[in-house]
Amino acid sequence: MEGRYERNFPALSHEEGMRLGKSRVCVAGCGGLGGGVIEGLVRMGAGKVKAVDGDVFDETNLNRQVLSHEENLGRWKASEAALQMKKVNSLVEVIPVKGFIDRENAEEIIKGADLAVDALDNIRGRKVLEAACERLGIPLIHGAIAGWMGQVSVIMPGDRIIERLYQGEEDRGDEVHTGTPYFTPALVSAIETAEAVKLLTGRESPLRSRLLTVDLLTWEYEITDFGGEK
Amino acid sequence: MKVTITLRGTLKKYFGEDKERVYEVPEGCTCDEALRIAGINYREIKNFGFVSVNNKRVMIDDRLKEGDLLKAFSKVSGG
Repeated sequence: MEGRYERNFPALSHEEGMRLGKSRVCVAGCGGLGGGVIEGLVRMGAGKVKAVDGDVFDETNLNRQVLSHEENLGRWKASEAALQMKKVNSLVEVIPVKGFIDRENAEEIIKGADLAVDALDNIRGRKVLEAACERLGIPLIHGAIAGWMGQVSVIMPGDRIIERLYQGEEDRGDEVHTGTPYFTPALVSAIETAEAVKLLTGRESPLRSRLLTVDLLTWEYEITDFGGEK
Repeated sequence: MKVTITLRGTLKKYFGEDKERVYEVPEGCTCDEALRIAGINYREIKNFGFVSVNNKRVMIDDRLKEGDLLKAFSKVSGG
């Protein structure tokens, strides 16, 4: 299929397309955010995508998680990611990891990746992921959603955005009370994918050490600078 | 001195329909003190996230200056 990547260009240069094709990405979480990011990377032509999730699909996922459908409820999200993405682009290897990232396994799961994507749904896991990425020198794209609100940041090793973003002991945020409609993970996962493609192709990200917050109700897009003191 | 306070996410409910509010606060007042003048005590709000001043992340005990824009964000962590 010679035309498969034709529409990637000239938004990407051919050299950038080649670099993307050799890239290895670890996506932590295969739910609302992760499903969108995995699909984006597979369609664009990343090299290898590791899809990590210890959960199975259930009917409450159907309103927003693009990898879920009526016939795969009860199945592993990570395995379904690999299975479905093979139909979209068989050139990309999607490696399923059926498990949650924790302190013991984080480095083993993400090592070898050029980039990790935070598509998790809990604060504890995000902190473990950021710390492991820092130890291994792997850049991390952070994304999170709640109701009409979303946020994205690009974290280079040592930036410690997540550590400064989530203080206190709580493991969840507004999403407990706000629900999660379709469009919020769709938008935030698209932004995460765009930043991932920039880093994988050697471009700078304007979101490095900055947090983009988006409110889809009011169209407030704001950037908060997290640079300086750590 | 005067500072402007804006709330984000589910914290917005504390200001009702107001997009932002301007408060007269003591010189050298901290973000925490200014928020408490506005009726917001972060210690009592489970999903209180972080604060910024003039769009830069600061600590809750950092001090404000005349004309500063203080924003308080709720915690967002769904996926």
